Amino acid sequence: MIELRDVRKSFGELKAVDGVSFRTGEGEVFGLLGPNGAGKSTTIKMIMNILAPDSGSILFNGTPITEGDKDRIGYLPEERGLYRKVRLGEMLLYLASLKNADPAVSARRLDEWLERFDLAQWKSRRPEELSKGMALKAQFIAAVLHDPEFIFLDEPFSGLDPVSTDVLREAVLELAGKGKTILFSTHNMEVAEKICSRILIIDHGREVISGALADIKARYGKNTIAVEFDGELDLPKLSRLVSRASRFPRYVEMELAGGANAQEVLAALVGQVAVRRFEVLAPSLHGIFVQIVGKAERGSLGERSSQGARS
Amino acid sequence: MKSKLWKIIRMEFRLTVANKAFIVLTILGPFLIAAVTVLPSVFSMKGGIGGSAELKVAVVNAGPEYIERLRMPLAQNGIRVFAAQGNTESLDAEVLAGSFDSYLVLPDDLLSATRVQYVSKNVADFRLMGIMQGVIGQSIIAARLLQAGLPAETIASLTQPPLIDIRQLAKSGEKQNRDFLTILMTGLSLSMLLYMTTLLYGQAIGRSVLTEKTSKTVEIMLSSVRPLDLMFGKILGKAAGSLLQYGLWVSLTAVFVKVFGPRLGVNIDFGGSLSTLGFLVLFFLLAFFLYCSLFAALGAASQDEQHLGQLTWPLILFLVLPIVMISPIIMSPHAPLIVGMSLFPLTAPVVMFLRIVVGGVPTWQILACIALVLATIAAVIALSAKIFRVGLLMTGKRFTLGEVLRWLRY
Repeated sequence: MIELRDVRKSFGELKAVDGVSFRTGEGEVFGLLGPNGAGKSTTIKMIMNILAPDSGSILFNGTPITEGDKDRIGYLPEERGLYRKVRLGEMLLYLASLKNADPAVSARRLDEWLERFDLAQWKSRRPEELSKGMALKAQFIAAVLHDPEFIFLDEPFSGLDPVSTDVLREAVLELAGKGKTILFSTHNMEVAEKICSRILIIDHGREVISGALADIKARYGKNTIAVEFDGELDLPKLSRLVSRASRFPRYVEMELAGGANAQEVLAALVGQVAVRRFEVLAPSLHGIFVQIVGKAERGSLGERSSQGARS
Repeated sequence: MKSKLWKIIRMEFRLTVANKAFIVLTILGPFLIAAVTVLPSVFSMKGGIGGSAELKVAVVNAGPEYIERLRMPLAQNGIRVFAAQGNTESLDAEVLAGSFDSYLVLPDDLLSATRVQYVSKNVADFRLMGIMQGVIGQSIIAARLLQAGLPAETIASLTQPPLIDIRQLAKSGEKQNRDFLTILMTGLSLSMLLYMTTLLYGQAIGRSVLTEKTSKTVEIMLSSVRPLDLMFGKILGKAAGSLLQYGLWVSLTAVFVKVFGPRLGVNIDFGGSLSTLGFLVLFFLLAFFLYCSLFAALGAASQDEQHLGQLTWPLILFLVLPIVMISPIIMSPHAPLIVGMSLFPLTAPVVMFLRIVVGGVPTWQILACIALVLATIAAVIALSAKIFRVGLLMTGKRFTLGEVLRWLRY
């Protein structure tokens, strides 16, 4: 289990991480989300003990991280690179050996992973010949080869083609199924939505929202109801339940009023019209983020420049 | 489970040794060294580069018997004298035209003369000047003695000055044949050795550390090992590779000179005693690791190769300083400035070695020097690990010394 308590880090004037707290459980895929420059990478670097936090504490199973803990962590940094002059297989085994992994076991696992990522023929070639996507997959192998309990992935899906994204996503979910704790950062809300069980959204170094994805969706959903119907709809009759509505001849989108419940609306509708379709629209993570961070941020996810600081 | 440091050393050693450039350089090295060291001696044996061995000196205003008296002793030193006539203008013209190298004008009254004139295009060869002065001076004194009525056969032994046998008294009471030139050459050889090694390998270590940043492997490395282990591992691994190459070169060159030297008529001899050799190795290693760690620190602080090049200039200055100051160091090895330089870590190894060769250095100073250099090496490596850790997060922009100092507080 990893726990962050009110962690802060400034670079000069810039507050890169400004009081972030969260906790991840075993077998959980935890998403650290936010736009570029939000403080995601800085947070991960602090968990990795590459950067020291200015204040706050970071605990591994209840105790501060030690050098020995690093052997139980796999890390895919945002800045990716391998020694250009060392053959891929040797490089990956070297990195695993630096995690004190058993050489024979690593060698066996290496072949499995290379096979899985379609990189087997690259084993004895040099990383400088790898394409960007292949290098990313190789780097992912470096993060998991020593069979760590914790896996931190910093922007693992950036620059990947759809097929590779699927392969990598399956690998991540499989590792989570084996009880590994996976923490990853991304600015891509769609990907996060597909694989995270819990998320933390940060912006400008501060927590915007955190919790189980389902809870968040429930809590921050606009509770919009879309209805297709036949017959005459008398909207004023629903005014107690609906705060706002966009009406079309046979279609209406309604926003629930505070305290109201979709089932009550449905019950009220049934007496009036013939309901052909009734849907509670689930908000997308993207929508939630935009809603929370505000209109100023709209459409800027993933596009906003990093404002001098690196995330 | 072997330590991570050891694994890094092994990897860095392998990276240094197992590449084509290293192997080619290792094989070619001895031939280059041999070419540089042996060829000049071959040339000087044959009488100088270009083969114009003999120096032709015209002697004006001298009788044939006097010329005869000068001929033998000067011929031994490669100077041929012959009688000539003419005024200075015509003689000057002939020197400039290259008919002969120089001319000597003897006064009419040779026996009471206090000055003779020597005209040459090249007056820089102090060895030649010394010989001329000795031989001519001796011949004039001989002539004077002859005139004073001494028998000719005793004159030669009377005018022969004794050679001064210079011996250095060491603390142990041991006396060694040593002179300024030997000390100078021994000191210069260490300085040059160090200078070349540092240029060759120190920069390589700096680049290796820099590559960790430019190839973006630094984060993944630091997620596994401590920055200090990474730094020590890189320096020790690279240094071991470099020293292996150096060892191979030295032994191959020794074999080469041993086998081919006699055939070429060259005999290269290390003039120093065993203790001098020991100190040479000790101070070489101290200086080598000191500069390696400094280059590593600069590699950690720099942004790209060009930036690294700029940052290393001050270091090279400190390497050159002892070479520039070699005369004052040898002539007054106990002057406060020189003692200071032999304790100041950046110049200490070379200057202290020179002082030891000259002799009379208190033991505490030698120990203090070694301790200071060792402490500096440790401090610099720790510092570079720190710079590395902080500097890597600042990729993309260059920084000032002030910023680096601020990082140390992180």
